[in-house]
Amino acid sequence: MTAMQWVFSFMKRYRAKIVFALVLTTITAVINIVNPQISGVVVDDVIKGGNREILPRLIIIMILATFIRAVLRFWFLMIFEQTSQDMLYSMRDHVYRRMMGQDFAFYSTNRTGDLMSRQTGDLDAIRHFVAYVIYAIYENTLMFVIALAMIFVVEYRLALCMIAVLPLTALVTFRQLKAVKPAFHNIRQHFSSLNTFVQENISGNRVVKAFAKEDYEISKFNRENDGFREAELAASDIWKKYVPAFEFLANVLSVILYLVGGIMVVNGSMSLGKLVTVSGYLWMLNNPLRQAGWLANDYQRFVTSAEKIYSTISVEPSIKEPDHAVVRERFKGDIEFSKVFYQVGNEKILEDISFKVKAGQTVGIIGSTGSGKSTLMNLLCRFYDVTSGEITIDGINVKDLDLHSLRDNIGLAMQDVFLFSDTIEGNIAFGRPHSSMDEVVRAAKIANAHDFIMHMPEGYDTIIGERGVGLSGGQKQRISLARALLKDPPIIILDDTTSAVDMETEALIQEELSRIREKHTVFIIAHRISSIKDADLILVLDGGRIVESGTHESLLKMNGYYHRVFHHQYGDFDRYALMNEGKEA
Amino acid sequence: MARNKYDIDETLQVEFNYSHLKRLGRYIKPYRKDMAMVILLTTLSSALGMLTPRILMEVMDVYIPNGDIKGIVLLSLAMLVIYFIISVILRMKITMTSRLGQNIIHKIRSDIFEHLQELPFSYYDDKPHGKIQVRVVNYVNSLSDLLSNGIVNTITELFSLVFIIAFMLSINVRLSLICMAGLPLLMILIFIIKKKQRVAWQKLSNKSSNLNAYIAESINGIRVTQSFTREQENIRIFNELSNEYRTTWMKAVKLNFLLWPAISNISTWTTSAVYVVGISWLDKGMTGITAGVLAAMSGYIGRFWQPVTTLAGFYNSLLTAISYLERIFETIDEPVLVKDKEGAIEMPPIVGEVEFRNVCFSYEDGVPILNNVSFKANPGDTIAIVGPTGAGKTTIINLLARFYNLNSGVITVDGIDISDVKIKSLRKQMGIMLQDSFLFSGTILDNIRYGNMEADDEKVIEAAKTVRAHDFIEKLENGYLTEVNERGTRLSVGQRQLISFARALLADPRILILDEATSSIDTETEILLQEGLKHLLKGRTSFIIAHRLSTIKNATCILYVDDGRIMEMGTHDELMNKKGLYYELYKSQYQFL
Repeated sequence: MTAMQWVFSFMKRYRAKIVFALVLTTITAVINIVNPQISGVVVDDVIKGGNREILPRLIIIMILATFIRAVLRFWFLMIFEQTSQDMLYSMRDHVYRRMMGQDFAFYSTNRTGDLMSRQTGDLDAIRHFVAYVIYAIYENTLMFVIALAMIFVVEYRLALCMIAVLPLTALVTFRQLKAVKPAFHNIRQHFSSLNTFVQENISGNRVVKAFAKEDYEISKFNRENDGFREAELAASDIWKKYVPAFEFLANVLSVILYLVGGIMVVNGSMSLGKLVTVSGYLWMLNNPLRQAGWLANDYQRFVTSAEKIYSTISVEPSIKEPDHAVVRERFKGDIEFSKVFYQVGNEKILEDISFKVKAGQTVGIIGSTGSGKSTLMNLLCRFYDVTSGEITIDGINVKDLDLHSLRDNIGLAMQDVFLFSDTIEGNIAFGRPHSSMDEVVRAAKIANAHDFIMHMPEGYDTIIGERGVGLSGGQKQRISLARALLKDPPIIILDDTTSAVDMETEALIQEELSRIREKHTVFIIAHRISSIKDADLILVLDGGRIVESGTHESLLKMNGYYHRVFHHQYGDFDRYALMNEGKEA
Repeated sequence: MARNKYDIDETLQVEFNYSHLKRLGRYIKPYRKDMAMVILLTTLSSALGMLTPRILMEVMDVYIPNGDIKGIVLLSLAMLVIYFIISVILRMKITMTSRLGQNIIHKIRSDIFEHLQELPFSYYDDKPHGKIQVRVVNYVNSLSDLLSNGIVNTITELFSLVFIIAFMLSINVRLSLICMAGLPLLMILIFIIKKKQRVAWQKLSNKSSNLNAYIAESINGIRVTQSFTREQENIRIFNELSNEYRTTWMKAVKLNFLLWPAISNISTWTTSAVYVVGISWLDKGMTGITAGVLAAMSGYIGRFWQPVTTLAGFYNSLLTAISYLERIFETIDEPVLVKDKEGAIEMPPIVGEVEFRNVCFSYEDGVPILNNVSFKANPGDTIAIVGPTGAGKTTIINLLARFYNLNSGVITVDGIDISDVKIKSLRKQMGIMLQDSFLFSGTILDNIRYGNMEADDEKVIEAAKTVRAHDFIEKLENGYLTEVNERGTRLSVGQRQLISFARALLADPRILILDEATSSIDTETEILLQEGLKHLLKGRTSFIIAHRLSTIKNATCILYVDDGRIMEMGTHDELMNKKGLYYELYKSQYQFL
C-alpha cells in the first residue's frame, strides 16, 4: 500500500457524499456563469435597449439564482467540511490505534514531538485537502473546461489557439510539483523537530532550571525556530518562481485571444460579435490558471504529510499477536524461564537465564545497575521478545499467549513511575477504569498511600500534574503500586517500587503485601535486602547472568555478591545492637 | 487555581481586547517599511491590472474596426509587458510577505518560549504539558498567513474599495448610496454572529489543546498503558476528545461560512435595487441619470462587493486567530513569581556556608509545607535530610535553589541572602540532581555535557568514571555516542541516575544537592561512587536526601524532618544516642532480621 492508497481507503467511505457535493459544486458553477450574463442582458436590453417589461423577471431570476447559489454553496462547503472532519476523525483513530499497538522499540526510536506532529500538523494537511483542495481543483477545472467548450462552440480555431497554452501549463505544473516536494518535506521535518524540541524543553523544565540553562535552551530554540523559518522561506523561494508563471500564462491567454481574434476579425474570418462573446468567457479561463500554482502547493503539502504519516504508521511492530493465540481468563501463575538469551544488536543483555517459580511464590531479584533485572520482567510481559530460549506461564510459551490476556494477568509497577495528569483515583484505577471507589481505596491502603492521599486538599479527587509532578518520589511509587495491585492479577511485578519510600513505610507496605502474597506469584526487584529477604527464591544478576540464586539464608552462606550487599547495608548492625543492648542493660 | 487535565477546558484570564491589537501592531511595527513596500507594489499591480481592460476596449473599439493589425500586435506586446511586470511584482510580493509572516511569528514564538523559561515549576505542574506546547507551536503557526498575506491583502483591498467608492460617487451619488446601503445590513449580521463566532472559536482552541494534551500523554505513558492493557479505554477517550473537536469545529466553521452567502445575497439585492431605482429615475428623466451612467454603475457594483468579500474573509480569519492570540498573550503575560530583584548582584564564588533562618513556606495558601525551619551548614559539610515521604525534604532543597520564594524567613549562602542575588548566578554554582532523572534526546555524551557546555570529551568521561557510569556506557553498542531518549528508555533508571549524576558533577558545583539521586542504584555501585566522590566533594557543601541509611550515615549533620519541621538534628551517633525518631527509623531497617 502506498501513502496515497492509504488516504484514499478512508476517502472511499465518503465517495457518495463527495460525488454529491461535486454535483452541487457543478450547479453553483453553472449559476456562477449565468449571473453575469443576466447583468449583461439588463445593461444591453433593458437599459440601453429600452425593453423595460423583462426587468422584473430578470431581477427575480437574479435574486433567486443568487439565493440558490448561496444555499447550494453553503451546503456543499458544509459537506466537504463535514467529510473532512469525519475523515480526520477516522484517520486520527487509525493513527492512534497504530500507536497504541507499537512496541517499546518503536517508542525508543521515535520522539514524542515527532509522533505528535503526525497527529496534528500532518493530519491537518489531509483535512485541508479534503475540505478545500478537492473542490477547488474540481471547480477550477470545471470552469476551465466549460469556458473552453463554449469558446470551441463559438469559434473552434480560437479555442485551439488557447489549448496551445495547455502543454506549457502542464509543464509548469509538473515542474512545480516536483520542485516543491522536497521543500515541503523539509518544512515538515523542521516542524517536527521544533515540536520535539519544545516538547522536551517543557518536560525537562526542572532540569533546565536546576542547571540554570535557560539561555542555552533559548539559543538552541532559536536555532530550531530559525530552521523552521528558513525551511518555510526556502519553500516560498521555490514556489515564488511558479505561481507568477501561472499568473503570466493566465494573462497570456487574454493576449492570445485579442491578438489572434483581432487579426481574424480584421481578416474577416470571424465576426466582431464572436470575439466579444469569447472575451466574456475569458475570466473563466484566467482564474483557474491563476489558482493552479497555489493548488499545486496545497496538493503537494498534502502528499508530503500523507507520506510522513504513512511512513510512521506502516511500521509493523515486532511484538505481534500470535496467529493462534491462547486466551486465558486467569493464569495460575507458574512461570519458567529456560535458557533465555536476549540481545540488542551485538549487545548481550541477558544470557542463559533459567529458573522456575510456582504459583504463589515470591521471587526477589537483586543485582547491579544495568544487570538486566528490568529486562527480565519486560521479557515476561513480552514488551520485547527473547532472542532465544523460552518463557512459559502455566506451561504455555508467552509468545503463544494472547497479548492482551498475558498483560492483563500481570500487575506491573514500573521502576520508572509514570502517572497521568488525572485525579489520584483515575490514576489508581488506570488498569480497571470501572472499579468502585472501595476497590481503589483498598488498593491504596495496601500500598500505604491512603493516608497521604486523604491529607491532600481534595483527597482522591486531587488532580496530579503530568508525570506526577508535585508528588514526592515515594508518593508516586505508592500510587503506582496501588495501580498495579488494583488489577488483582495472578502475577505481580514490583520493579524497584519502594526505593524512594522511607524504611518505616516500606515495612508497613511489606506487611500488607505479605497478607496477599500467597495468592499471587510475585517478583520483587530491589536494591534493599529488606525488600527481598523473605522471598522464596532470590536471584542475583550480574552482567545479564544469574550469578547466585537461593534463599536469603542460603545466599548469606555463599559469601558472594549477596553477602557483600548485606554486609554493606547491615554490617554495622551488630555494633549498634550491642551498643543499645549495653545501654539498655 | 485547580490543576488542569486533558478533559478540562482552560479558563481564560483576559479576553482579547484593544490592547492586544496594539500589541500585535508592535510585532508588525519593525516591518512597517516592508509592509508599506508590499502594499505599494500590490496596489501598483492592481492598478496595472485595471489598465488592461482599457487597452482591450481600445482594441475592440478602435483597432479592430480600423483593421490596424500592426496596432493590435503592438498593443498585445504592450500588454505582455504589463503582464510580465505584474508577474514580477507577484513574485516580489510572495518573497516579501513570506518573509514578513515568518519573521513575525518567529518573534512571537521566541517571546513565548523565552517567557516560558522564566516561569516557575508550578506553571508546568498545573497543566498537561501538551497544552503548553500547543501554544508555542501550533497556535503560533496558525497566525502566519493572517499576519502576512492577510494584512497586506486587507490593506490593498481597502485601497481599492476607497477607489471604487470614489469612482462610484463621481458617477452618481444617489445610486452609490443605494449600492452602499447593503453595508449596514452586513454590519448588523456580522455584529449578530460575532459573539457566537468568538465563543465557537475559543471553544475550538480549547478542544485542540485538550486533544494535544491527550496525545502527548498517551505517547509518553505508552508503557503504562500497554502493561495495563488500557489501549481500548484510551482509544475510547481519545475518540471522545477527537469527536468534541469535530463538533466544535463544525459549529465554528458553519458560522464563518454564513458570511459569504450573506454578502452575495446582499450584493444582488442592492444591484437589483440600483437597476430598479435607476431605471425608474431614468424614465422620469432625472438629471444626471443616463443609460451610460447606469451601465457604468452596474460595472462598478460588482467590483465594489469583491473587496468587501475579501475583507469579510479577513475578518473571519481574524476572529479565528484571536482565539489563539489571546492564549499566546496570556502565556507571555503569565507573571514570573521567582525573579531577580531589582539591583540583584552576581553571586560571588560560593565558599559553602548555608543557613536557613526561620524559613516558612507553603505552595498554596493555608497549607503550610515548611514551618520555621532553621539550620546551618559550614563549608564542606554534608547535610543529610531524612524523614517520611511528603515531610518537606525536597521543598527544603527547592528553596535553597530558589525555585520558589519564601513566605517568611531567610536563606543565606556565605551570609548573602539568596533573594538578593541573580538566580542564574546562584544556580550555576549548584549541582542539583533531581528525583526525576530526565535525559534529553541525544547522545549520552551530550547529556552529560549539559552540566557544562565547555567541557571536552575527556572531562565528560572523567565525570562518568567518577560516578561509575563509564563501564556500562562503554559496553553500549555506540558507547558515549549512544542515542538516548527523552525518558532515556534504553537505559534503566539506575543508569539514568548515574548519567544525571555525572551531569551534575560536570557542572563543578560549589554546592551539591542530591535528591534521591541514588535510590535506584545498587549498593555496590553506590559505595564505589561515594568513594569516588569523597575527594571530589572535599570542601564542597552537599545536601543529600536518601532513604537508604547507609547512604547518609557519614553525613556531618542529619536533619530529621517531619510535617515541615526539623524534629531532630545531629550526627548519626548523636541521634542514635538520643533514641528519638531517627533511632526508630534506623532500627526499622533491621526489624526484619
